[in-house]
Amino acid sequence: MSQSESWLQQLPQNIVIGLEQGSVYSLIALGYTLVYGVLQLINFAHSEVFMAGAFGSYLVVDKITGTRHIQGVMVPLTIIAGMLTGALTGAAVAWVLEKVAYKTLRRNGAPKLAFLISAIGASLFLSNLAGKLFDRLPNNAFPVYFDVNHVVFRIGSAKVHVLELLIIVTALVMMVFLDRLVNRTKLGRGIRAVAEDAPTAALMGIDIDKTISRTFVIGGALAGVAGFMFGTAFGVFNLMGFTPGVKAFAAAVLGGIGNIRGAMIGGLILGQAEVLISALPFVGAQWNDVVSFVVLVAILLVRPTGILGERLGRAA
Amino acid sequence: MNSASATVRRLVACLVGGLVLALMVGKQEGNRNDFGIAFHEAVLKPRIAIFLAIGLVIFLLITFWPLAGPYLTRPGVTPLGAGVLTVVAAQTIMNWYDPLVNDTGNGKFSAVRSAADSTSALSQLTVWFFDWLAWALVAAALVACAAAIVTRLKIFGYLVAAVGVAGAVLAYLAHADILNVDNRIDHSLGVYADVIGLLVIAGAGVAAVYSRTETADTRGFFKAVMSWRPGLPFAVVGLILGLFAYTIDGWFGALQLNDTFAQARPDFAGQGLSVLATQYLDWLGWVLFAGAAATSLLATFLRHRLLAWIAAAASVAGVVLTFSTLWSMTNVGADVAPQFGVSWQNLGAGGFVACIAYTLFLASVVTLLVRGRKGTKSTGNGLPVTSMIDQVRKSPIATSFLLVAIGFALFYPPTLPITWQNVLVGQIGVYVLLAVGLNVVVGWAGLLDLGYIAFFEIGAYTTAYLVGALPVKPPSWLHMAPIVAIPFAVGACLIAGVLLGAPTLRLRGDYLAIVTLGFGEIIQILAINNPGGFTGGPQGPTIPHPELHIGGLNITWGQDNLPYWYLLLVMLIVVIVLFWRLEGSRLGRAWAAIREDEVAAQATGVNTTRAKLLAVSIGASTSGLAGWFFATQIGYFDPSLFSLQTSILIVAYVVFGGMGSLPGAMAGAAVLTWLPQFLKDQVPPNDRQMWIGALVLAMMIFRPAGLLPARRRKAELEGFDDAPMGETMAVPRAGAL
Repeated sequence: MSQSESWLQQLPQNIVIGLEQGSVYSLIALGYTLVYGVLQLINFAHSEVFMAGAFGSYLVVDKITGTRHIQGVMVPLTIIAGMLTGALTGAAVAWVLEKVAYKTLRRNGAPKLAFLISAIGASLFLSNLAGKLFDRLPNNAFPVYFDVNHVVFRIGSAKVHVLELLIIVTALVMMVFLDRLVNRTKLGRGIRAVAEDAPTAALMGIDIDKTISRTFVIGGALAGVAGFMFGTAFGVFNLMGFTPGVKAFAAAVLGGIGNIRGAMIGGLILGQAEVLISALPFVGAQWNDVVSFVVLVAILLVRPTGILGERLGRAA
Repeated sequence: MNSASATVRRLVACLVGGLVLALMVGKQEGNRNDFGIAFHEAVLKPRIAIFLAIGLVIFLLITFWPLAGPYLTRPGVTPLGAGVLTVVAAQTIMNWYDPLVNDTGNGKFSAVRSAADSTSALSQLTVWFFDWLAWALVAAALVACAAAIVTRLKIFGYLVAAVGVAGAVLAYLAHADILNVDNRIDHSLGVYADVIGLLVIAGAGVAAVYSRTETADTRGFFKAVMSWRPGLPFAVVGLILGLFAYTIDGWFGALQLNDTFAQARPDFAGQGLSVLATQYLDWLGWVLFAGAAATSLLATFLRHRLLAWIAAAASVAGVVLTFSTLWSMTNVGADVAPQFGVSWQNLGAGGFVACIAYTLFLASVVTLLVRGRKGTKSTGNGLPVTSMIDQVRKSPIATSFLLVAIGFALFYPPTLPITWQNVLVGQIGVYVLLAVGLNVVVGWAGLLDLGYIAFFEIGAYTTAYLVGALPVKPPSWLHMAPIVAIPFAVGACLIAGVLLGAPTLRLRGDYLAIVTLGFGEIIQILAINNPGGFTGGPQGPTIPHPELHIGGLNITWGQDNLPYWYLLLVMLIVVIVLFWRLEGSRLGRAWAAIREDEVAAQATGVNTTRAKLLAVSIGASTSGLAGWFFATQIGYFDPSLFSLQTSILIVAYVVFGGMGSLPGAMAGAAVLTWLPQFLKDQVPPNDRQMWIGALVLAMMIFRPAGLLPARRRKAELEGFDDAPMGETMAVPRAGAL
């Protein structure tokens, strides 16, 4: 069986690729799960926050590099600038989104599904406004200012490229940071309290509106960074958010929606499953999306509330 | 909250809103060399001042609105608002006849203005009207009417009436003048809305100064009009429509012909028209119309039951005979105008308007005939839908309106331009059917199904397989005609619904959402990836049109839209009546219980798994029916049509219209599928989705219960403020504590 041998040979490399994809999914999934934690709502416009972060960082990186050749210390500085603007744009868009599409509905006491629809409306609006402003071509590549394919080191036969390393490391750092934020800070305690029981949290002196708004901002910043990295790897365009968004949502559900560590694990598992299973000799890349959903359904049937269970307040 | 800072915030929000609007209506698109160019063009140009001013005006309106408060309840305000809105809509977004546009004769009001400037054949008044007079008239009427409402001086009332009527006459004359430039078919509705709006404004001015009450009672006014002589208003409108139909409107139109009713007779003489149709054109049509009009007017005026029965019989005979004459005319039409062949599209609006008039006569006397049932026992178990059915049963007016609605559904679509017929049958009808089906799952049972399109797809592919359109042929005993495939397509979706539902329904709300989303995605990828060569891959199959042969009845559905429309109407009515009965049934109440609180429902003895499974499979089978219709009507489809985005959009239709409300789901689907087609002429095609997104967002902000909310949901929103934290109210309110 030469095909299965080659699958084994490619295994280490595929694991690295899976880690890379999984970390992006995790970063986006964190936004879904945070919002779900405090509002028990799926934020359907989160994929557009991700897209906005990619465009924001693109504009800045493009401004910095232009047509010049960048090297030396400027390279890490540009990367940091890209991440920062990605995070800022994502946070700003998420903040406005909460104010427009969520807070007004909460003030009116709208039914639960109305939020879903307003988010879908916002998502349609944002992705098409971006298309109008930034053109609708699906191949806007980031300017090349470092050799993304430079091999940093090898693990066995697997090559770890600089971009993959960057994405994985950044994602891990941000996840640890978020975990500390939610578990150790006053803001994090507020978020957990609102997630556990909003009316009671309000009675304890927590400003629910501010907490929800900040939750959106945190999730938006993470998605913005993910957008920058995803854009560097695959290019930016106005509909880039949909597929990673759906996958990340699946990842959040997989890990147990509302559960922060669950979202991280869910993203990583989904990334691995997608790459490894569709690399199997009898499957093939065109079944990529099917694989991720079948894995999701299979796990949900065994554990109906996801791998780590549900609530932000309890499990994190 | 501090009121000063709230005001500042409101100002900032309004100005930002103006900026966003500037970006949205910018003509310039960005490009890959200069991403900022659209932004520069939209924001860093003098035109931004206009949009900031719009924002400022909105801010001022919101801020100083309370000052207008005492006057807002006075008589005349409601009709003034409605009239001004209608006129503004007519002069900004609706279609007018534009002589410069070659194919459709559609153009915007402003476009007609430039056309009017460039044509010399027009009168000076027409040019002025399109240039500035129209807007000046509206502004003058608005100011004068405001003065009339505030001061209640008679002179202002007369002024408003004069300006309104003059404006209406001018608009009609200007439109007629512009039509004369080159006499092509006119499908525009702008001028009619303009005339009606201006007349309503005129009425508002009169109402403002003549009404003796301090607070307006618009609803009471309408009630008084309708109940003075019940049914009479229907008969009067019927008379007006009928007069138009039998005198001005065209009955048969082809390239060289544009026959009115009177002209049709000589043109069709000796062409082999059926005996009845010849007699109809000769004298029967006139007699029927005069008889139905006279008897229904008299019957409603005198409240005479025997006359009412005669009028009803005459109206029914009128509809049947007019329609059979039209049928006969289409068949003969091939000889009169051979270039068009046997086609319903040769028919003018006249015959169908006459049918609508007869329906109105029937509706008018129904008020007299239904009254006898007033005493029927109420089934009232207090559920909203049962009481609604009771209301229709008992209230004569409601029955009349239902009849009028059916009449319009039957006879209005044929008068539409062909492009709109395509939209109506191929888009609106199909999505209304889908929304009605999804409403069972989402609105009634409260299960969020994001992969609903999968069942639609299964229905379409099942049909394709059974008629032998897929690469894999069915065994010969299973190979069937398209019309026979209906129950199989529905059944396949029913089974698919059970297969999907059985393992997944124990998952709660949001998990179910993602699993169904995945299901939708998987089904689409299956169709594209073509495993085993079953689906034919991305190309998709070609399906023959359906035919029906029972006894002497032969119906062939071909290229014409009209037969499909009637087929769709039959399907829709069957589905709606079934679901209507279902909502109030034991199962429907079980769904409501599950939606509100599943644990409590289970505790009270509802078999939740069974009820949920039934909801999913009933919804799925409706989708299968829609899939069958879609496949056979469009004749060709490919898997890219069944995307997840479409699936999510259907959920948006249901919630936009009003979750859990049958009329709401239909209205939501109809409006949101009609809108892109409408916007096609108004905004750059690429921007359509953006405007729809903005509209959906705005709708949810200002009317979260949807367009036509379910009564139950409305009560939840308005009735009790401190609602329980159930499935519907799980979201923390803003500003709580």
